[in-house]
Amino acid sequence: MKKYISIWLKLSFLSFQIALASRFGAALFLFGKVIRFGFFLIFLFILEAKTKTIAGFSLWQIIFFFATFNLIDSLTQFFLREVYRFRSYVVSGSFDLILTKPISPLYRSLFGGSDILDIPMLILSLGFMFVAASNLPSVSVFNIFLFFILFINAMVIACAFHILVLSIGILTTEVDNTIMLYRDITQMGRLPVDIYKAPVDSIITFIIPIGIMMTFPAKAFMGILSPGFVLLAICIGVIFLFVSIKLWNFALTKYSSASS
Amino acid sequence: MNKYFLVAKNTWEEMLTYRLNFFMWRVRVILQILTLYFLWLAVLPKEGSLLGYSQPQLLTYILGTALLNSIVLSSRSYAVGDDINQGNLSHFLLLPMNYFLYWFAKDLGDKAMNIFFAIFELVVLFVILHPPFFIQTNLILIFLFAISSLIALGLYFLLNLLLGFIGFWSPETWAPRFIFVTLLGFFAGGLFPLDILPKPVFTILSALPFNYLLYFPLKIYLGQLSIFQIIIGISVSVFWLIALYKLLAVVWLRGLRRYTAQGI
Repeated sequence: MKKYISIWLKLSFLSFQIALASRFGAALFLFGKVIRFGFFLIFLFILEAKTKTIAGFSLWQIIFFFATFNLIDSLTQFFLREVYRFRSYVVSGSFDLILTKPISPLYRSLFGGSDILDIPMLILSLGFMFVAASNLPSVSVFNIFLFFILFINAMVIACAFHILVLSIGILTTEVDNTIMLYRDITQMGRLPVDIYKAPVDSIITFIIPIGIMMTFPAKAFMGILSPGFVLLAICIGVIFLFVSIKLWNFALTKYSSASS
Repeated sequence: MNKYFLVAKNTWEEMLTYRLNFFMWRVRVILQILTLYFLWLAVLPKEGSLLGYSQPQLLTYILGTALLNSIVLSSRSYAVGDDINQGNLSHFLLLPMNYFLYWFAKDLGDKAMNIFFAIFELVVLFVILHPPFFIQTNLILIFLFAISSLIALGLYFLLNLLLGFIGFWSPETWAPRFIFVTLLGFFAGGLFPLDILPKPVFTILSALPFNYLLYFPLKIYLGQLSIFQIIIGISVSVFWLIALYKLLAVVWLRGLRRYTAQGI
């Protein structure tokens, strides 16, 4: 465990140095992320001003959902940014070098380089969550506890999604659009998945568990999620992770060491 | 002319080389349409109107942006900056070919492919979702919609090329493009019709070229603009077309003076 933390720290430090090599570019990327966040927030304010509620949720509830989505999304990108670089390792044959190292290739492929540019977005999301939460009706300690449980579950599901992307990357050499497809699907969780009509809401909750990832933690925080759903969410998270690791192990047996 | 046709045709074939990649891209496009469609469907009342739009009008606007996206915003010329930074531009400077027309032909190849699939996908979505849809029957408005869409296509091409030319001065071409795409998502009207914004903000946006990429053509289609407003809008967009072309010519000549064929 200690070895893996030390490797993560080392690789993240190197990744930070690369990201900051072009400070102008890093600043522009950061600016872009902030205005994207701001624009969607403006859109929500305009919508709420005209409709008073969005699908039955108040403005502060909607902002809490949106900020929770951003926190999970940014944290996932912060830790798992290496997945976006995985295709080049597979098509160039560099993945051979990762396989021969005395560390788990899955760990290296997932956590091989954190993205410093996501840190300001994490802080921004936390800030908005705090402001929105202070405008919500009183929240119990138990609800906060459930929020943390489901938040960890969301990170497990996000990790499972990324393992699936890596596995597809080995099997097909396609990563870029698959990871962006994941990003597009998760965008449906910017707002509570309850706003989508049946059967879309069920599909993106139980089959592609975006709702469990993005909506359930915020709902638990607000005390509008039944305990049965909490248990179901954890079961789905564990099963999803198990299946993705099985697929990864299968994909490794099909790796053909291209270009080497 | 034949050579540019071949460039467009080759682009079409290039896109089909990595078929899984292409399939994933189309799935993403459908997903983006569905996300916005269901969002608006949830907030719009079935009867009456919201923000000055009836449900059929706003859903037509959202589905219309999907089609217009494939006509206007699909492009290959995003790679111009890399061409400059990697020294590939030198190759084109030696060819008996206009560099601008080369990229325009590539863009057209890309657009043809995107339009073909977008129409197919929208038909499938219509069959599945049965969305309330506003069908414009006024031929003059349809003609003006087509004209403004063609102007939008030209505007986007010039803006895209201009961004790529940053490569003459800086190796950092992707970060400005990221900001451009983010701004475009908001200012072009892809997320929502721009006239729901406060009036002063909308007035400022009306003077910028982004407004004429998606929002303006779709407003013409929906029949929500008077002939006078359409004439003013087309005049402003033509002004931007000419101004951006002139600016592009100046930037291109200055850029060539700085070009060092780095990377060869």
